Amino acid sequence: MAFETPRLKRPRPWAWDRWALAAVPLLFLAVVLVAPAVRLMVEGGSADLWAPWQDPYLRGRLLWSLAQAAMTCGLVLLIGLPMGWVLARLDFPGRSLLLRGLMLPFVVPTLVAAMGVLALMGPRGLLAQWGGPDLQGTPWLLLFGNLFFNLCVLVRAAVDALSQVSAARVAAARSLGATPWRAFWRVEWPAIAPWLASALCLVFLYCFSGFGLALVLGGQAYATAEVEIYTLVAHELQLGQASVLSVWMLLLTGAVALGYATVERRLATPARADGVLRRPARGVVLWSAVMATVGVWVLICAAPLIAIAHGAMFSGAYAWGVLREDDTLLALYNTVRFSLLALVLATVLGVAHALAARRVLWLRTLVFLPFIVSPVMVAFGLLLLYPEASGSFGVLVAAYALLAYPFVAKSVASRLDSLPAHYLEAARSLGASPWRCFWRVTLPLLAPALRRGMAFAAATAVGEFAVSLFLSRPEWATLTTLIYQHLGKPGAVNLGAAQVLACVLMGLALLAFVLIEWPGKEGDARA
Amino acid sequence: MPHGIFSFFKTTLGAALLTAGLTAANAADLRVLTHSSFTVPKPLLAQFEKDNGVKLRITKGGDAGEMLNKLILTKANPIADVVYGIDNAFAPKALAAGVLDTSTTAAAGRKPAAELPAPLVPVDYGYVTLNYDKAWFAKNGVAVPKTLDDLTQPAYAKLLVVQNPATSSPGYAFLLSTIGAMGEDKAFDFWAKLRANGLKVAKGWTEAYYTEFSQNGGKHPIVVSYATSPAAEVFYSKTKLSEPPTASLSLPGAVFRQVEGVALVKGGKQRPAAEKFVEFMRSPAVQTAMQTDMWMYPAEAGVAKADAFRFAPEPTAFNAPSDADIAAKGSDWVARWTKVVLK
Repeated sequence: MAFETPRLKRPRPWAWDRWALAAVPLLFLAVVLVAPAVRLMVEGGSADLWAPWQDPYLRGRLLWSLAQAAMTCGLVLLIGLPMGWVLARLDFPGRSLLLRGLMLPFVVPTLVAAMGVLALMGPRGLLAQWGGPDLQGTPWLLLFGNLFFNLCVLVRAAVDALSQVSAARVAAARSLGATPWRAFWRVEWPAIAPWLASALCLVFLYCFSGFGLALVLGGQAYATAEVEIYTLVAHELQLGQASVLSVWMLLLTGAVALGYATVERRLATPARADGVLRRPARGVVLWSAVMATVGVWVLICAAPLIAIAHGAMFSGAYAWGVLREDDTLLALYNTVRFSLLALVLATVLGVAHALAARRVLWLRTLVFLPFIVSPVMVAFGLLLLYPEASGSFGVLVAAYALLAYPFVAKSVASRLDSLPAHYLEAARSLGASPWRCFWRVTLPLLAPALRRGMAFAAATAVGEFAVSLFLSRPEWATLTTLIYQHLGKPGAVNLGAAQVLACVLMGLALLAFVLIEWPGKEGDARA
Repeated sequence: MPHGIFSFFKTTLGAALLTAGLTAANAADLRVLTHSSFTVPKPLLAQFEKDNGVKLRITKGGDAGEMLNKLILTKANPIADVVYGIDNAFAPKALAAGVLDTSTTAAAGRKPAAELPAPLVPVDYGYVTLNYDKAWFAKNGVAVPKTLDDLTQPAYAKLLVVQNPATSSPGYAFLLSTIGAMGEDKAFDFWAKLRANGLKVAKGWTEAYYTEFSQNGGKHPIVVSYATSPAAEVFYSKTKLSEPPTASLSLPGAVFRQVEGVALVKGGKQRPAAEKFVEFMRSPAVQTAMQTDMWMYPAEAGVAKADAFRFAPEPTAFNAPSDADIAAKGSDWVARWTKVVLK
């Protein structure tokens, strides 16, 4: 880190305050994640570690899991980076709306999203109606689903990253005769690479350990290893086999997470105060770029949601009557209540983890643990380890927070890496105490990243369904569980009610986003 | 494994939960474990609480098989006092695992409309069977199949969607009916032919019915569902229908009679209240209400059937292997099915 030359003494990595900070998330992870998973593995007994690779069926599942995640990463980068460039460099009406709109897929429950995807590409979908192929039963459906859910992750990262690029360096390169392409490649790309790497890592982890989407869109033929673990634990009680498989998943994803944390640390640079200014989109070329971006957004992110909204609109008065039911109000109340509680807990855990993990590689890697460890292993482990707490409110909120807090931690950690050191130095040399420095300098600089992380966490909590893997209770029904409940019965009204509730859920998630991110105006990390 | 570490975490978590005042566990609660389809009207549940001076704590444990596995896994320290939703397909497994309290209750004395092995007390019953999309068959001019073997013929290629028996209780029930009718080896030959003929496998009922079944936008006009599903289609239709858009197709070998029951959990607490709950599930009020909530027929012999069931004729014949065979070979059959159909 050549240009990190702090005149202040660097914080010692393991001072007592660091330990105290780290203890909060570490204890939480140990209690609600590691101990339950280990307990379940112990219950499973010993099994041959190499068994999954010797069994052609399981090997196929593992390899397919890797392949679909890698393919999604490639597609997301190819499509998302140009979109990110347009959104970061050009000004046009509706730009910030589009930025927010990108987040919508993120909050749609898996089954509802899958229904949307099928409404587009299934046998009676729009694509088939326009004479295109019916993609059901092919791997394309799953890849499109992955793309739908993950495109926003990369685009947002690209927008943030491009806003950090130094305008002076780009201008210097241009005035020295570099073409825009060459300036991008030699100046902008190195600056944005760590951000993109971080986003791609998330995308990979999502796709690799994702399971609901693979089940519905991949069908049984394109199910991932995570699906196999779920089946082995929940339905076949083959804990030994499941443990071995999940150890392999842990090793593979852990390697990705570790590699990512290394890259991100090495590439981290303090942010530029002189970001490149956005210019108005003028001329045919720039306007076509804007239109293409909007077009891709409509095709990939909006179309499945429009298909659901369309379904809800034409589902008739009976289905809309669901909005007046007591159950719906209760579910709405629960969704808001659980999300808020989870958000508070996730924020505390996330900020503590991010602050403690500065310059500590293994701690940074641990942020990904909730994504890496199979939720079904954790859920059954919790049952086994704390039977008296099963179906208790504390476990429920802890589970929500567990799945939401990495977003906060990740976002804050990236921002910490790029904090300009001289602000702090100035404050310290003017006599501010470390605590005052944190409160008056660091925190305001972190605010946009914190809001970003919290918005993601809130959206995750609002659309969360993994909690049903834990024991759920009727009085704790959320909007997602209510949707699944309606989808559990035959009849047009039930399908319509599910679509109406899905629309409410999307609206709620969007509201959470707007409320949390609004003070940031443009919502990007340039404070 | 040193239990010291785990009890340390237990204490930590317990302390954290208590401090936060979040623990809902209360010694006076009657803990009821059910599958996720459990629906009993709230006023009835409130009345039960009032009459018996207990608070119900109902937890939904997922699909019937998943729920039973949770019960088996926590056998040493059970998470419920009474369990509802174990059916005759899973009863042998529950009995073999010894998770049920074997003492009998009052409701067990009355002769039900469908039997279950003791100590499970039958609550309701229904039929897992094929359903078909009437409009699809009319539009495509295909004759409705007459036997299960027809489904292996080219004319019926890629028309059937079933649930994976490893992850779905109707899927498991359907597999059992084919084995019960044909015997193990012939049944798996049949499944191999189905696979060759483009059988579609979905994870659970919801995926099969709402994404694969042609009635709801999928491309498979035959689906494994329940004999009462056509009645539910009328009940939950947007417009007033004079006849259902779907019909059940009770082919020989394709019908499994599912009897769901309630039982006390071994090692559970709140004995008197738990016994009252068993009785409650067989009370006329619950038996009447659950018909159009859970779409099952009442097990209490004297209770009238819901009007909606005029669209749900009961199949006259059904098949299943013996309880002993299900207990001994159930999981082997699922593993073999996975090999024959999926791998």
